[in-house]
Amino acid sequence: MDYLFGALGLFVLGVLTMFLPKRLELGAHYSGMLLAAGASMLVLLFSLGILVTGMTVGPLVFGRYSLMVDTWSAAFLLITGLSGAAVSIYGIGYGKGYLGQRIRLLSGLWNLFILSMVLVIVAGDAFTFILSWEVMALVSFLLVNHESEKKEVVYAAYQYMVMTHLGTAAILVAFYLLGSASEDFSFAAMAANTLDTPMRHIVFASAFIGFALKSGLMPLHVWLPNAHPAAPSHVSALMSGVMLKVAVYGFGRFMFWFLDCSTFAYGLIVMCVGLVSAFLGVLYASMEKDMKRILAYSSVENMGIIYTAFGCGMLLTATGKGSMAFIAFTAVLVHSLSHSMMKCLLFMGAGSVLHATGTKNIEQLGALASRMPLTAFFTLIGAMSLASLPFTSGLVGEWMTLQSVITLAWQADAQEMRVFVILAFILMGLTGALALGCFVRLYGVTFLGRRRSSLVLKAHEMPASMLIGMGLEAVLILFFGILPAPMVGFMQSALTGGVIIMPMENLFGVFWAGNGSFSIYSPLILAILAVFIGGILWFTLSGKKCFVEQEETWNCGTVPTRREQYSATGFSKPLRRAFDFILNPQRKRVYLKKNHEYFGRQQEYHLHIPDQFSEFLYKPVEHFVVRSADTMRALQQGSVRLYIGYTMIAMIAVLIWGVM
Amino acid sequence: MQYLVVLLIFAVFLQTRMTGLKRAVVCLAAQSGIIACACLVVGFSVGGGLHAVLPGLLTLVVKVIFIPGAMLRLVKKITDDREITSTSRVNYSSLAAAVFLVMGYLLVDRLFPGIEGRDIIAASILMIMTGLSMMVLRKRAIIQMCGLITLENGIYLLGLLITEGLPMVVELGVFLDVLIAAVVLVILTNRMSLSFMTTDTTVMRKLKG
Repeated sequence: MDYLFGALGLFVLGVLTMFLPKRLELGAHYSGMLLAAGASMLVLLFSLGILVTGMTVGPLVFGRYSLMVDTWSAAFLLITGLSGAAVSIYGIGYGKGYLGQRIRLLSGLWNLFILSMVLVIVAGDAFTFILSWEVMALVSFLLVNHESEKKEVVYAAYQYMVMTHLGTAAILVAFYLLGSASEDFSFAAMAANTLDTPMRHIVFASAFIGFALKSGLMPLHVWLPNAHPAAPSHVSALMSGVMLKVAVYGFGRFMFWFLDCSTFAYGLIVMCVGLVSAFLGVLYASMEKDMKRILAYSSVENMGIIYTAFGCGMLLTATGKGSMAFIAFTAVLVHSLSHSMMKCLLFMGAGSVLHATGTKNIEQLGALASRMPLTAFFTLIGAMSLASLPFTSGLVGEWMTLQSVITLAWQADAQEMRVFVILAFILMGLTGALALGCFVRLYGVTFLGRRRSSLVLKAHEMPASMLIGMGLEAVLILFFGILPAPMVGFMQSALTGGVIIMPMENLFGVFWAGNGSFSIYSPLILAILAVFIGGILWFTLSGKKCFVEQEETWNCGTVPTRREQYSATGFSKPLRRAFDFILNPQRKRVYLKKNHEYFGRQQEYHLHIPDQFSEFLYKPVEHFVVRSADTMRALQQGSVRLYIGYTMIAMIAVLIWGVM
Repeated sequence: MQYLVVLLIFAVFLQTRMTGLKRAVVCLAAQSGIIACACLVVGFSVGGGLHAVLPGLLTLVVKVIFIPGAMLRLVKKITDDREITSTSRVNYSSLAAAVFLVMGYLLVDRLFPGIEGRDIIAASILMIMTGLSMMVLRKRAIIQMCGLITLENGIYLLGLLITEGLPMVVELGVFLDVLIAAVVLVILTNRMSLSFMTTDTTVMRKLKG
């Protein structure tokens, strides 16, 4: 607990650096970021301690507010501490680019942002939770709005603000209903609530809406692809890597403590929403050209996978296979951790590219690998992990999710369940394949090939602090990818500790070491094998260049130019063709010059992919609200005669009512 | 008193039919005159003396002579004398007055069955509601002012009946209020006539941003 209070104190100090005088601006930034990194490390140490001992701390009551830490929150504190530390170190270098642009505010709010997320996770009652949740929402709004000179940034920030407050409202409703069915608002009392069934459904619905909105699940994701490109890169890294997980924490708190997972429909809803988000998220990610938008949609996808695993666990619990649900809930935590690491890493990579070239449009990049080799290498690891390739931690979570879905089919008693699982498998498979394509496209177009614009020429390698931040995450991703046991072990102990009422069974052996069968995944053996085979190949091939001959690419007799290489838009064309019934892409060709049928043509090509949800869900709602507001305006339009009329009607009504 | 009430109701009905501004003001003066008479009748019936007669005299001075006089002077300056609208609004306000009369009697019978001044209460309810409806339905500023004074007369009549004479200070205050309201309205209407060349209040919407 000392660690935690030490961390909170350091965060508060970090917030106070905001008030240093202007001439110490840079010093304030350095000290703020270092304090944030140090405090995050303390949080990390604290959470490791809790996970190892498996004890529950608290509730510590401070008047109306209270703190409580158990293993479930410790798992998310681990995520916060890890990513917070790495991204804060990265932020030392990256934030310097904001010198003269309210840099003190940026690093002060940065501390407040991590502080609020930690407080949400360690909150011991509804008041503390909602208060910190709201601080988190407002501070992240301010951080998104940091470059408020740009119009689209302000638009994105306000859209985020509106959406996140809708979510907060839904969570408030859930807490109110729960609190009115319990003795007070502390989590321990709310766990012993006396909700009747219809009320429980309402609480579940509002809690799921609230947390799904913050997690960016599919119908409620619209703020996410706008807010992430608008925010400074290290902020979007933390928002995507940690803030979305805080929502998973809250949802888990609701499902495990306040409601129970044993209602079949809840699990089905969560799993369906997760599957749809995973598939559509990655599909939209493959269409985007803005690096950070790609990553934002990929966050939607990964949150979808996490919620799929969650729903799968709930279904297993509901069908009475509680011990099997364990693997699914472990998958939730493992994938949360690994997604946090890899998404932070990729956002940091995107930030470095933006820092070096000044653009995030991948159509203008290319050939960055030779100019910024370390960044390219780290980004490659992150991209591999997001595409869930072997030897990266991204695979571990996704593998476990698939395992839990298989378990669902295997343990299902009803035939319908198996059909559903087949559907789930198709969607999960498509998701994995599309994610691979998406990140091949992202990495290939950005770092490989030849340059697509002269912006690339000024690119340079990043300063040490940024490389350290990225390297830390990359090393961890590789480490947990090759030796997943510690990560999975920690996350299992998060589930077995105390408060969760769940049959504990160590399924670790079944899925990792093989239970007498050969269907095992042992990355360590695979890695040794890969290194061995790779070594042999390298020695045989590099000695005599017997297979390698460098020739010009055949290009119908002309020399290929830079402009003839694969573009990002071209790369995703087959997908657009295959899924045009979902994406409904709209393209416009404008001929600037057309002298001849085949030669001398000059044309412009505009591609627009509308977001179907905002087209068909949000815009009609918006129109309805605006139109009804117009109608309401007729009631209150400043005409004195109308007001006298209201008075008259009121008088008549009162007189008649008095007589009745 | 009975005859006065009949006259009053007739005057109020006539008030709703008026489209010419000058005639509306004259009609208002007549209506206020009837109220003043009623006041004097009540005053003499409780025993005369200055205190009893003063409200009637004040009504006479303020509502019969001063306010209509000022409004008549104003009307002379206004170029468009008639309320140029379809007659439907006029018909509506008459119809509303009829409804209010029936409603007034029904209310009195339900609320105070067998009360002595049944007709007077019904008439005052009629005047209050008709005054309001004139302000709502009619467009010309002068006629809306007439509606306001009618409303005020109704309230005054009701007060007279129920309390049988308010304290002196309160009565003086009420008259001062009405006077000031009328003065302000006359001044504003005059300005409006100068600025917009009309006293139709619908043109005031242009002022809204």
